[in-house]
Amino acid sequence: MKAKLHSQLQAQIKKLDSISAAPAILTPLLNMLRLPSDKIRVEKVVELVSYDGSIAAQCLRLANSPLFGCREIETVRSAVMALGLERVRSILFGLYVNRVIPQDKWVIDPDAFWRHSLGCALVTQRMAQKIEYPEPEKAYMAGLLHDLGFLVNSVLYNEDFRECLRRAAEQHVPLHVIEEQVLGFTHCESGQMLCEHWGLSKELVDAARCHHDVSLLPTAGPLACLVHLSDLLCRARYLGYGYDEIMGVDLGSDAAWQTLVTTFPALGNMDLVRFTLDIDGAMDKIVATVDSVFGVKKIAALATT
Amino acid sequence: MKADEVEFVAEVARAGAGLSVERDKLYVIESRLAPVARREGFGSIRDLLLAARHRREGKLMWAVVEAMAGGETSFFRDPAIFARFRDEMLPELARRRGRAPVRVWSAGCSTGEEPYTLAMFLLEEKDKLLAGWTFDILATDLNDNSLEAARAGIYGEYALRNTSDVLRRKYFKDAGDKKLQANDLLKAPIRFDRINLSDDSKMLFQKGIDVIFCCNVLIYFDLASKRRVVQHFYSNLLPGGYLFMGHAESLFQVNESFRLVHFLGTTAYSKPTALQAAGAKK
Ligand SMILES: C[S@@+](CC[C@H](N)C(=O)[O-])C[C@H]1O[C@@H](n2cnc3c(N)ncnc32)[C@H](O)[C@@H]1O
Ligand SMILES: [Fe+2]
Ligand SMILES: [Fe+2]
Repeated sequence: MKAKLHSQLQAQIKKLDSISAAPAILTPLLNMLRLPSDKIRVEKVVELVSYDGSIAAQCLRLANSPLFGCREIETVRSAVMALGLERVRSILFGLYVNRVIPQDKWVIDPDAFWRHSLGCALVTQRMAQKIEYPEPEKAYMAGLLHDLGFLVNSVLYNEDFRECLRRAAEQHVPLHVIEEQVLGFTHCESGQMLCEHWGLSKELVDAARCHHDVSLLPTAGPLACLVHLSDLLCRARYLGYGYDEIMGVDLGSDAAWQTLVTTFPALGNMDLVRFTLDIDGAMDKIVATVDSVFGVKKIAALATT
Repeated sequence: MKADEVEFVAEVARAGAGLSVERDKLYVIESRLAPVARREGFGSIRDLLLAARHRREGKLMWAVVEAMAGGETSFFRDPAIFARFRDEMLPELARRRGRAPVRVWSAGCSTGEEPYTLAMFLLEEKDKLLAGWTFDILATDLNDNSLEAARAGIYGEYALRNTSDVLRRKYFKDAGDKKLQANDLLKAPIRFDRINLSDDSKMLFQKGIDVIFCCNVLIYFDLASKRRVVQHFYSNLLPGGYLFMGHAESLFQVNESFRLVHFLGTTAYSKPTALQAAGAKK
């Protein structure tokens, strides 16, 4: 990217921290995001969840919802166990991010954003499992974090980014195409910088950077390719940015597919129609999770606590 | 039903239409054959099959094939398919085809709900996307009774449950008895014809098609017959054409020539243009 814009953006991102008081759980939470899920200690998660009354309440409520079997769960510990570490980790992350973004700065509908992010996380992970990629949890994180740049753009370039979304929705085209025209950079670049600023691993940074164009890096890693494909799939299944895109995508001819299939031949044995139906099957769960945790009304409620 | 009766039904359906009958789903077989037995004046399915078998009567055998081919359908069955056809394919076709008529084929149209739905979608675009062009819809099935019903175009509330009042007023007329009949405007673009998709000689003749809808038909086919039909479809289509199937139907390990394309809320198979094919080899 154009060097000047780049350093400007970088300086702005450093300021993000001071825009809202970063909750004290940020540092331990980011530390936890860097770990593969088998390295996460349940005690540590329980501690983080318990730290904040409203987050603890959210987890309890979700664990007791019909989605997870309506059991009578009363302690944070059993809620964490019922929800699973992976889900709790993304809930924590999402709730934290929701606090960093001031209420009036959201440009993309927060529900749409979290459905897309969580949807992508699940699809990336499932695809990773299907192709026998060795670290499916990392794939999950890459999917969850890939569009953080939207939040950076919302906070730092609010008016211009609103204009991007307006035009993209009107023309039914992908947002990054319009971002390039209006802002001169895309959420891929601002997302990359935020991930770097937060000290996330290089693979996660690269996935954020390349998820709309895997030819950007000479060696786009498998994570970037997986996220790219999952992002397209999610957008094709009404888990996009909250507006309808005109899109006909031939995933099998996509550069990311072609790159992946050489390293992971199992991809060639994947029936994409079936896989897409699986996503439809998981849709209810994604939507219900997002709605019960990040629903707009709840964010508003959180903001006042 | 006895095992040899089931076997007989399966064999007749396979030979007649390329259908694969699930032998363990007795209730399905029986629920399909019972009305045929009644209609043909037999006291039971057993009597029907005995007559078909021993008299080798063509008409009865065919009635068995038709019954096993299924026929469940409705208007706007999978709206995403039609919406994507309109929003993503029509503009592209307009660019490519100039003023030549758009040719659409509803293969396995049953009692006509699918082709009439298509006709409504296209007629609604007459002054918009389709301004200045024409289109025709070929609608085919192997079941003569279904085709007869399709030509008549008379439907009850249940079939029309997803059809808006605006469309009902525009494209239907009152047929009494709480039923509606497709009007001339709606019938005009459709040609109904009897085509058995497993009849190779007939299939070879269909040419120059832009988009094929073959929804919820091939699910009943055995693999070999499915492969043959799909290969025919590939030849029937113009380059750049599309094949739509039911939302759970996949050509994975059935056909390598078609390309799977994801659209918003649905998938379709495309026959690449020469340009696209060259692009993919790069
Ligand atoms: C379940 S209906 C589908 C109707 C419509 N396409 C839809 O999706 O609502 C299946 C239709 O396929 C027809 N069919 C089955 N095998 C066929 C064959 N070999 N040739 C032509 N039509 C066939 C049946 O007669 C039946 O009308
Ligand atoms: Fe993105
Ligand atoms: Fe995305």
